[in-house]
This record gives sequence, C-alpha cells and structure tokens, in this order.
Amino acid sequence: MLGYLTARQAGLDDPLRLRRAESTRRVQSLKLNPDRDVDRIHGNGINTIDIEAIEGRYMLSGGADGVVVIYDLENYSGKQQYTCKAVCSIGRSNRHVHKFSVETVQWYPYDTGMFVSSSFDKTMKVWDTETLKPAEVFEFEGNVYNHHLSPIARKHSLIAVGTKNPKIQLCDLKSGSRIHILQGHRAEVLSVRWSPRYEHILASASADSKVKVWDVRRASGSLFTLDQHNGDKSKASSEAVNTAHNGRVNGLCFSGDGLHLLTTGTDDRMRLWNSATGENTLVNYGKVCNESRKRLQFTVSRGCSPEFVFVPCGSSVAVYALHTGELVTMLRGHYNNVDCCEFHPDYQELYSGGKDCNILAWVPVLRAPDVEEEPDSTKKSAAGQPSVNPAFEDAWSSDED
Amino acid sequence: MNRKRALISDTFKIKRRRNGTEQFGVDCKEDGPTDIRSTLEYLMTLFPRKLFNDSLPLIVLKHQLYSVHHDKTLVDKELNKLREQGELLMFQLGFDTEAFGLIFASDYKTKVLAGEEGRETRATVERFLEKVVSSCTDLSFSKDKMLRQFLFTDTEITQLVKSGVLTVRDAGSWWLSIPNSGKFTKYFIQGRKAVLGMVKKSKYSEVLKAELEERRTNVQVKFPMKYLIHDIVGAELVESIPTTSGPLLRFVDS
Repeated sequence: MLGYLTARQAGLDDPLRLRRAESTRRVQSLKLNPDRDVDRIHGNGINTIDIEAIEGRYMLSGGADGVVVIYDLENYSGKQQYTCKAVCSIGRSNRHVHKFSVETVQWYPYDTGMFVSSSFDKTMKVWDTETLKPAEVFEFEGNVYNHHLSPIARKHSLIAVGTKNPKIQLCDLKSGSRIHILQGHRAEVLSVRWSPRYEHILASASADSKVKVWDVRRASGSLFTLDQHNGDKSKASSEAVNTAHNGRVNGLCFSGDGLHLLTTGTDDRMRLWNSATGENTLVNYGKVCNESRKRLQFTVSRGCSPEFVFVPCGSSVAVYALHTGELVTMLRGHYNNVDCCEFHPDYQELYSGGKDCNILAWVPVLRAPDVEEEPDSTKKSAAGQPSVNPAFEDAWSSDED
Repeated sequence: MNRKRALISDTFKIKRRRNGTEQFGVDCKEDGPTDIRSTLEYLMTLFPRKLFNDSLPLIVLKHQLYSVHHDKTLVDKELNKLREQGELLMFQLGFDTEAFGLIFASDYKTKVLAGEEGRETRATVERFLEKVVSSCTDLSFSKDKMLRQFLFTDTEITQLVKSGVLTVRDAGSWWLSIPNSGKFTKYFIQGRKAVLGMVKKSKYSEVLKAELEERRTNVQVKFPMKYLIHDIVGAELVESIPTTSGPLLRFVDS
C-alpha cells in the first residue's frame, strides 16, 4: 500500500488507483464485527433490504410478516460499539401495513422522502416517509415478486413490476397509470432490473428459464433473450434452446457499470452475460447453491478492482471474483437461510438478512495499530476512558462553553 | 516496470503468496501455467482399460479436471482450445446435463475403427469420422445438417446409429456418442453411488481423502477409487476441506 501512496503523491498514478486498491483490500477482509450490530425488530424472516443511494445513511428492510423498518446506519456516537437503530417502522399496528410478506422494498432513487414496497398481498404501495402513509397503491392480480425503479432515469419514472402473471407491468409514478405491458414470458416473472447505464433498458427473469432484455420505448417484443449456449444448438437438449438456465431463473443483478449482467438459477449455476450483446461470457463459478422459490437478492461490489459478487448460498454468503469465477470466501454467521444482501459502496460494508430475523453487518477488518507506542501515552490512555478512534476525537470545542 | 499496465488485483495475489504459508493438504496446482494436457493424461491413466477389454477409448469427465485445477474458467478455456485444434473430443454422456466426457481424438478414432472391423458399416463409419468428427466440434447433429452439409443419406445415418457412433436425441437430431459405452455409464453411476454412500455413512459424513483412497471397494464397484474421488470432488457432490492431515471430503447435503 505504501507503494500506491508514494505513486499517488508523486503523480505517477491516477488518484483512482489508490482508491480502488484500498477498496479491494477492504472487501477482501470482510468479517463479522462484534462492535457493529443492527437493531432486531423483525419477528419473522427478512426478505429484502435496500440502502439509499444518495447518502448511504438509511436502510430499508422488508420482512415476511409485512413489516417495513428504516434503520440509520451512521455512527455518530464516537464509540466503537454501535448498534444501527431503527428510526421508524411500519408495524402490524399501522393501518396501511401490508397483509402478507413484503417481497421487495426500494428507496426512491433521488431522495429518501419516498419509498416503494411490494408484497404477496398483491399490492405495491408508494409510501411517504414523513407520515408513513401510502401515497399510492397499485393492485395486481397475482403475487408481486419484484419491482424496481430505475436508478438513473431522468425522462421517465416507471416502476417495473414482476408478478405471477407472465406479463411485466410498468407503472408510472407521475400519472399513476399502468397501461404499459411487456409481453413475452410464459411463466411468472421472478425478477426485474433496470440497467444502471441506460435508462430505457430493462432485464427480466422468469420461471420459464428465460431472461429477456427489453427497451421500453419499443412497441414490439424484447430486444433479445439470453441463451446459455450462445446459439450453439448442439450442446443442449432441444427443449433447453434459448434458455438462460436449466431451471427457474430467480436472481438478476447488473454490474456497477451496467456492462455485465449476472443471473442465478435453480440449476445451481450463476452466469455472467455481456449486457450489450447478450453473450454468455462462460465464466464458471461452480455450484452456487440455490433453492429459493422466490427471488434471490444478490449484489455486486462497486469501486473495487476486481469486482466481487456476494451471493446468498444456504446459510452463508459466498463471495466470488466477478470475472474469473473463483470463490474468494464464504461469510458464515447466519443461523438460517440468507435471503438478501446489499453492499454499501462508500464504506465497503455488506449487510445481509435472512430467515433467522437478523441483519448482519460485515465490516472490513481495520489494520492493526502500530506496535511502537510511547510509554507515556499508553499509561495516560489506560488510566482514562476506553481509547477513542482519533477520527472521532473532539479537537475543537473548548472547555469554557 | 510499466505502472499503467499493472493490475491492482496482481498486487494482492503477490502479497498473498509471500505472506501466506503453504495451505495444508491442498494438492491442486495453483501457480504457473496450468497444464491441462498433462492433467488429462494423468486422469486417463486412472481409467480402467482392462474392465472393458480394451474396446473403449480412455474417457475422462470434464468436471474431474475441476478437482485438480482451481480456476474453472481457465480449464474451460483450455479445453475449448484443445477442441478447436481437433485433439480432444467432448461428448454429452446422457446421465447428467453437466457431465461431459473427454476423449483424445486419435484414441477415439482407433478404437471405433477397431470395433468396426469386419462389419458392413465400417465404410460409413470411417467416412463419418474423417468428414464430420475431424472438422466439426459439435456435440449433436440435426437431420438437416447431416443431409445437407455432410451429404449423408438416411440409410447411412441408420448405419451410424447402429454402430453406436450416433445416439438418438429426439426426432431428427442425434448426439455424438461412444460405441459400447453403456457398460461404462452403468458401472460409473454404480461406482459414484457407492463412493458417495461411503462418505455419507462415515461419522459426521466426512472422510479423509487419503483414508478413502485406502479403502477397499466392494466387488460391485469396478472403477479405481482415485477416478471416482476426482469425479465426486469435481462435481461438487462433496466438499474438499484442507486440514493438517490432508484434504477432508465432507458430504454436501443438497
């Protein structure tokens, strides 16, 4: 690391290199930290979590009991030991709470004044964070598996919704209309995702083993369907032609730059695709255990080189290198199945939630402090309070005030 | 040193090698150019030739290579290269969508022609081997392709199926296959089941790899232990955990 710092100082390296190197080192040292905890509010499994994109301060979580909780992730207490407190929640006592399990929650991408949640009670509600009342309720005919708002959209404010119905519905936030439908799948749509690169590109995964990429401006069908054999019809049996997986496809995730798309399926495989051409890059991740009957929420790191994929695998989270496919590590800590995980790009932390009603925070291990310390300072700090991180030390307020 | 070309990921790899001690019990090849060919040749020596009276070419399964080399994507790339060069042939074995068999092209051709000695289908098979197998790396062929591209007639296709070089896939398409491989598939599945059973029945469903290799297989299991162990480790039916007394194989519940 000293090499990177000197190079940065001398101007030999781009400033981004040092940042990437440090981010990668931090992600590789992710561990369960005894000092960091998340408040335990849910009484049932946690299905989904979302961290807001603007500040990275607030986290939403949706549970199997219909409860939605908002947590504050920032540590302003100055102490090492910190529990992320729940700021507010839509509990069972709230008049507008969802009747059945909440499957997806997502913050409005531009500010935390609004968030959207969808649930198995066949509704999707747009909530006002201040009053915790739904501003809009969209009703559907089947269970809602997944919804997604585009994180970069400027020209539209559409929410893509995947339900039990094979048609993907696009609901407009501005007008409340839901006439736009994308037809093409033959079975329930388990996951939908907007591209983080182009605001009109949408990818959808369905139980009929197909993944389709759409341009919502186009009147006719999808742009293309992902084919795991890249058009080589000889490799598979004839029913498996043009499928992304040999089973239900239940997880979708774009890489940070939107150039690659990851899909997971119940055939225990994860595949990496080129999102522009739909070509299977044939990166072999091995067996990625997947038994989920619903959507699987997994995530890709941002700002590291090489990028990492965090996939819930049974009761642990598997970390793979994105482009080589090697298993870096397995993060073990949950007592039951892990359903969702979310990466915090600013601090390189990972939050994962599962059936054991816990949200665990995986924090990068700090570098060991210098061994050489002056003997006077150690005596002083031992006599006083527990040592405070020098970054949080109060060096400006005067004693007189 | 060209800084602009150096990857950040390389720094971390170098650090790990310098600081990290030898991982216990790991017998896989990590550094240096991965030599897939020599691994293939080694695995082929484990194949029990005498069991089939030398009539079958030496078969290795693709996932057996994953148990030796850790980087699966690299293994896949090298295998594709060998297939493009025409040295290696890949077959869909039929009992598992992911189980692919690998045979050296020269070995396959000699064994098939040897098996066809004295039969009337010999000429067609020879033509098929020369024209199709040498040029095309497909695993299966459709009727359209066979008739138009390779100019085989219907009767000739029937002869090829009879001789065992093609197997029916569905109406109008065929898999490339190995003649007389039925016995192989039967004994292989039996052997895999038996070894998995051995691991499962052990205390805590785990066995040291060295100990498992020592164990006598019962009369039904015809394949050598090492061949089957490479198979179950590569197919991720058991998890290989490095320990101080060698790799430990733990049964994976799925």
